[in-house]
Amino acid sequence: MARVLVQLKLRLLLNALRSSTTAGTTFILSTVFALVVAVGVFYVLARFRGLSASVDLTTVIFTVFAFGWLIAPIMSFGLDGTLDPAALQLYPLRTRPLAAGLVAASAAGAWPLANLLALLGATVGLARGVLGVLVALIAVPLQVLFCITLARLVTTSMARMLRSRRGKDLAALLFIPIFALVELLGQVVPRAAAKGGITAASFNGIDSWLRWLPPGLAVHAIQDASTGRPGAAVARLAMLAAVIVALGWLWVRSLNRALVTADTSAQSTQVRSGALPLARYGVRGAVAARFWIYQRREPTSLIYWAIPAIIMVVVSIGSIVNRPVHPGVVIASAVIGAGLVGYLHANSAGLTGPAFVIEALALTSRRSLRAYFSGQNIALSVIAVPLLTAISFGLALAIGDPMQAAPAIAVALAGLGAALGLSNVLTVTLAYPMAARTGSPLRQAAPGYTSYTLGGILASLVGVAIAVTPVIIAAAVSSGVPAAVRIPVLLTCSAAYGFALAWAGVQVAARDAETRLPELCQIAIHST
Amino acid sequence: MGEPAIDVHGLRKRFGEKEAVAGIDLKIAVGSLAGLVGPNGAGKTTSLSMMTGLLRPDAGRVVVNGLDVWADPVAVKAIIGVVPAETRLFERLSGAEMLEYAGRLRGLPTAQARSRAVQLLDVLDLAADAKRLVADYSTGMRKKAALGCALIHNPSVLFLDEPLEGVDPVSADVIRRLLKRLADSGSTVLFSSHVMELVEQVCDHVSIIDKGRIVKTGTTAQVRDGKTLQQAFIDLIGPRSSEEEGLSWLGSSSS
Repeated sequence: MARVLVQLKLRLLLNALRSSTTAGTTFILSTVFALVVAVGVFYVLARFRGLSASVDLTTVIFTVFAFGWLIAPIMSFGLDGTLDPAALQLYPLRTRPLAAGLVAASAAGAWPLANLLALLGATVGLARGVLGVLVALIAVPLQVLFCITLARLVTTSMARMLRSRRGKDLAALLFIPIFALVELLGQVVPRAAAKGGITAASFNGIDSWLRWLPPGLAVHAIQDASTGRPGAAVARLAMLAAVIVALGWLWVRSLNRALVTADTSAQSTQVRSGALPLARYGVRGAVAARFWIYQRREPTSLIYWAIPAIIMVVVSIGSIVNRPVHPGVVIASAVIGAGLVGYLHANSAGLTGPAFVIEALALTSRRSLRAYFSGQNIALSVIAVPLLTAISFGLALAIGDPMQAAPAIAVALAGLGAALGLSNVLTVTLAYPMAARTGSPLRQAAPGYTSYTLGGILASLVGVAIAVTPVIIAAAVSSGVPAAVRIPVLLTCSAAYGFALAWAGVQVAARDAETRLPELCQIAIHST
Repeated sequence: MGEPAIDVHGLRKRFGEKEAVAGIDLKIAVGSLAGLVGPNGAGKTTSLSMMTGLLRPDAGRVVVNGLDVWADPVAVKAIIGVVPAETRLFERLSGAEMLEYAGRLRGLPTAQARSRAVQLLDVLDLAADAKRLVADYSTGMRKKAALGCALIHNPSVLFLDEPLEGVDPVSADVIRRLLKRLADSGSTVLFSSHVMELVEQVCDHVSIIDKGRIVKTGTTAQVRDGKTLQQAFIDLIGPRSSEEEGLSWLGSSSS
């Protein structure tokens, strides 16, 4: 059984490699990345040798890997055909050999091997003497086995839920904290470490509680064996093994249940009111109502708001770490935030998908198309204006210069108008089909259209930056004017300027869309 | 036939090397319930997309109730309803919100859009699920909701692409009765389908399409030519696979 499932896993990986150039490239890049991570983490763990906090740092890294194994299967449900027990439900398989086979299948592939190789860095960084290395050679595979069993238990227990729409929504929303964590680790931590804000000593004592988690048991077993306490080391390894056996037992039970339980993902969501809001405002109101509802009910929409918000904060916090802070950092955040809001909501036909046909069949005149684009902008502004204003204000407070809030908010308002107008124009002129990506809540440009994405980002960010230049100049020139006069004038004029830019975008987009609706429909139909 | 409701002449579409629609001529009378049947890949969806203004043809003309689809799309789209094969709706709207949205996009006053939505949901047997998200609808419910969206502005010509694909018999019966009622009231209905029994039962006009061409068209009786529609279709298109040779092991008597 184990052999069959490992072969199935390898065949799935091979088929992914062969299915298309994009999939093949992604597979190769992922494998190369896994190798880089393996070598990099091995090197980092090896470099901990001799550090006073080496055991703390190693525990943190082991725990991070275990956390990754916990999250990754939830995010990538469906990526690996061997993960879902329902796929094996029809075959006459006994649970125990099936469980062993699924563990073996999980261990096959670049990432599990990279995980093993990476953590073996502890044999150099933490282990001392022959006994220390021997225990490390047992503890690391046990840690990987723990990760695999934990991931299997979570996936199997949640299989029914993850197949349902609600489960998929939950997995999509997990993207937000993970994205925030990745941005924080990738942008802020390296800068803080470079400036001496985070050192190895910062981790001293962090494992006082992490040591009792299974990854901590593995690390401390190595530490005990290296410091002449083989009894304690064996006891910790035994505890880790017991945890794995317990998880395995729970998993087999869960698997038994999953194989004979019907997939009832029929839990449905009832809405409170059956009617659309904004009833009095015609087509514009109907479109605004539809977009507004989607911002609340569609997890992808929430992600599209979280991305600019997180990047705005990370851009500023990354700079705040490097004091003295340049006063322009909050304004730069506002420009980037507005630009990203525009880019993420451009390509409306591709984002809406085949349902866009329903709109296209009704929106034929230039007037109705103007209503469509402006309705969309109204719904997005209701969220974007307070969001960008609050973040700009918060960032100005964070850098200790509240007076920077006014020009930053002014830039955000003008930038948002420019971004929405540009997104309308890009919806028509740079439309492309979107494709669902297995294992990701976010859709991406269909194969062959990646350059459109890059063009969209570039056009949106550069366009917004150019559009807000007069506001930045006005803010700089008026810096000597009393705040009571300067702030209201600056904010009002910027908002009016932003509104005018958005209005102009709507006019241009509606004019161009009038002749391109069939092409936009085909793009929408070919989106998944 | 007087002025036809749907008049297609020389319609062509090529995708790269493949000629999906190779010059279609078709006339459907006002008040007719017409079926377009053909094997997979025959060009049904491409033809219907071009007839409804969703796909620009390489050549040809489509006139609906005297209006040229490609010369005056605004006027045509106001009088037609379309149910595409891929019934992708707005998943995060409820059924009631979905129909109301379709009505309001069509310029109906809000009160009228709401009352028609309620009535359509009732007739389509979706009233109990009106407040459920479309994302939680089954295939049959989605088809019915899509039909509701296409009917809410009372179109005089209705195009449907595979309206009964994946639909349970009860929902299929609801859809069939609704189409019949629409045609009886003087509206024109053109739909593509694989379900020969349905086409034979409800359609007064049938066109068989293969390899992008109409191979036979006329009243249902003319096309059937004394046979069942299924047989007439197979006789025209020809069998697509060889007899099942080499399956001698299949069956309980073999091992």
